[in-house]
Amino acid sequence: MIEIKNLHAQVGGIEILKGINLKINAGEVHAIMGPNGSGKSTLAKVIAGHPDYEVTKGEIIYDVNFKKINILELAPEERAREGIFMAFQYPVEIPGVNTSVFLRAAFNEICKHQGAEEMDPIDFDLYIRKKMKLLNMDDKFITRPVNVDFSGGEKKRNEILQMAVLNPRFSVLDETDSGLDIDSMRIVADGVNKLKTKDNATLLITHYQRLLNYIVPDYVHILRHGKIIKSQGKELALEVEEKGYDWLS
Amino acid sequence: MFQTHGIPTVKNEEWKYTSLEPLEKNIFELVKDNKLADRSALFEYCNPQEINIVFVNGIFSADLSNLKNIPSGIIHCPLQEAVAKDLPKIKEFLTKYDPSQKTPFAALNEALNSDGLYIRADQNTACKELIHIVHVTSASRRNSASMPRTLMVLEKSSEATVLESHLSFDDKAVYFANALTDIFLDENATLHYCKSQKESQNAFHIGQTRVWQERNSNFDGFSFMAGGALTRNDLDVVINGEGASANLNALYNMSTTQHVDNHTSVDHRVPNGTSNQLYKGILNQAARGVFNGKIFVRPVAQKTNSYQLNKNLLLGKDCRVDTKPQLEIFADDVKCTHGATIGQLDEDQMFYLQTRCIPSKIARRMLAQGFVDDLFSKIKNESIHHKLDKLVQPSFQALE
Ligand SMILES: Nc1ncnc2c1ncn2[C@@H]1O[C@H](COP(=O)(O)OP(=O)(O)OP(=O)(O)O)[C@@H](O)[C@H]1O
Ligand SMILES: [Mg+2]
Repeated sequence: MIEIKNLHAQVGGIEILKGINLKINAGEVHAIMGPNGSGKSTLAKVIAGHPDYEVTKGEIIYDVNFKKINILELAPEERAREGIFMAFQYPVEIPGVNTSVFLRAAFNEICKHQGAEEMDPIDFDLYIRKKMKLLNMDDKFITRPVNVDFSGGEKKRNEILQMAVLNPRFSVLDETDSGLDIDSMRIVADGVNKLKTKDNATLLITHYQRLLNYIVPDYVHILRHGKIIKSQGKELALEVEEKGYDWLS
Repeated sequence: MFQTHGIPTVKNEEWKYTSLEPLEKNIFELVKDNKLADRSALFEYCNPQEINIVFVNGIFSADLSNLKNIPSGIIHCPLQEAVAKDLPKIKEFLTKYDPSQKTPFAALNEALNSDGLYIRADQNTACKELIHIVHVTSASRRNSASMPRTLMVLEKSSEATVLESHLSFDDKAVYFANALTDIFLDENATLHYCKSQKESQNAFHIGQTRVWQERNSNFDGFSFMAGGALTRNDLDVVINGEGASANLNALYNMSTTQHVDNHTSVDHRVPNGTSNQLYKGILNQAARGVFNGKIFVRPVAQKTNSYQLNKNLLLGKDCRVDTKPQLEIFADDVKCTHGATIGQLDEDQMFYLQTRCIPSKIARRMLAQGFVDDLFSKIKNESIHHKLDKLVQPSFQALE
C-alpha cells in the first residue's frame, strides 16, 4: 500500500531522517519504536506533508486506484483526501472553530473528492454520534472548539474520533497511547482495532510495549538517529522493553 | 474651533498614526437632499418590519423610516426641537463636557448638523425591540459631507437595544461622514449599543461616541468597522456613578489600502467601576490599523476593575498595525490589565486543518472566522448578529 524509499529529510538545515526504507501492505499493522529525538514524529510529519520539513532525497510511493503515486508531490490536504491520516503526538488547539463544524467540513471534503453527495448537518450529527459511541466519548466534545481545554487524554481520543470519521486507508498514530490512562488506552485500542480491515494499514509510533498487547503489530521497527536499525516481529517490542535501545546498533 | 485649529496633523499626539492629508485634498459640500435611489438595497440590509430611523445624507427620511412599532416610553424627535423645548437631560448633557477637550470634529459636527436625532427611554421602560438608526449616504452627489448626530438618553432603570449603521450602497462613492453620538445612561439603565460602519471604499468616516454612565448603569457596546478609505472611530466612556460597568467590544476588518484608527477612552471617576475592552482587528492586503486605548483611574476611583485587550490578525504581507495602551492610574486599590497581540495565521493550526482534508483556502477562512468567534458571541441581539455576519462574510469568502 505504501512504500518509503531511501527517505532523507531535514528541518532548519539539519538532517533528521537519514535514509528510511519501509514497506507496508494493506491489512498490516506496523509499529515504530525508538529513543526520544530519533526522528519518529519527523517521519510522521513528512508522510503527512508538513511544510517545515524538506525532503532532500527519496520517495514515498502510495497506491491509489491501482496506480502508484509519489505523495511527496501532493499538498497535505490532497494526501489526506487520498486516505492518509496522521494522529498528532501533540494535537493542535483551534480556538473559535467548533469541533463538529470542523469534522463535517473535513468529512465533506472527502465526499466531494469521491464524487459522493455531501452530508447535511442532521445526518452528520447521527453519523458522528455513532463514532463517538465507539470511543466512549461524551457528546459535549463536539460542541466545543477543537481541542481547546481538552485534557491530554481527551485530545488523543479526539484524534482517533477523527480517524473514525474520515475512515483513512493508511494511518500513522504518533504516540496516541501516551497520556492515556489504562481504561482510555483500552477503549482507544479497541476503536483502532474495530476500524481495521484487510484494505487499510496502520503505523503505530509508541514507546510502550503495553499498547502492542492490544493492537498487535505484524512488524516492529526500531528507529535510531534517523535510520531503521532493526525490524522484526512483535517479540522485538518485548526485548526493547526489557533491555532498552543500547544493545542494538 | 475648526477655524482656529484647522484639521489636526500627525504632530498632534491624538492623530499620530493617522494622516488626514487625503481628507484635506478634497472639498466636501453639505447636501440638503435626502433622496435615495436604491431603496431595495436599503431594505435588503434593514428589515423593513423592524424599527428603522433612517437618515439620508444626514437628513431624516420619514419615507424610508418605520416608526410605527416604537413602544410607548421611547420618545424621539429632532435634536434641534428637543433643544428648543429643553427636553429632559438636554442642557445637563450638552454642558457635561469640558469645551476645551472637545475634538475639532465634534465641534464641526455640532456647528453644521441640521437634523440630529434625540431619543429617550423613559424611566423603567424596557424596550425589547431593536431600534435601528441608519445613516446612509446616497451616491447621487460627489464629494458630499454629512454630519450624523444622535443623542440618546436612557432614564433610570430603562433598557434598550440600538444599532447605529453608517453605510452607502455605492462602494465607489467619495464622501465625508462626520458622526457624533452622545449616550447618557442614568442609574440602573442598560444599553446594548452597536455601531456598524460599512461606508464606501472611498469614504472618509470620522466618528465619536461619548458615553456618560451613572450609578449601576451598563453599557454593552460593540463597534464594527469594515468600510471607508479612512476611518477614525472614537469611543469615550465616563464612569461617573459607582457600580457602573462598560463593555467595549470591537471588530475592525479591513483590506486593500483601508486605514482604520480606533481610539477608546474610559475615565473611571468614581469607585467600584468596571470596564472591559476587547478590540480585534483582521487586516488584509495593505490595510492599516491603529488602536489607542486610554484608561484613566482617578485617585478616588478605588476598587476599579479595568481590562483591555487588543488582538490583531494580519493576513496580508503589506498590512500593518500600531497599538498603544495608555494607562493613567492614580488610585492604588485597583485591578487593571491590558495586552496587545499582533500575529499571523498559526501555521500549526493551518497544517492540522489541512491534514484533515481541508484545503488551505478554506482553512484560512475557518481560522479567520474562529478569530472573531468569541467577539461575535458577545452580540446577544439576533438581528444585529445576523446583519454583522452578512457584512463580514464576503471578506472571509474572499480570502485566498
Ligand atoms: N521544527 C524543528 N526544528 C528544529 N528541530 C526539529 C524540528 N522538528 C524536529 N526537530 C529535531 O529533530 C529531531 C527528531 O525529532 P522528532 O520529533 O522526530 O523525535 P521523536 O523521535 O518523535 O521523539 P519523541 O520520542 O520525543 O517524540 C529532534 O532532535 C528534534 O529536536
Ligand atoms: Mg515524537
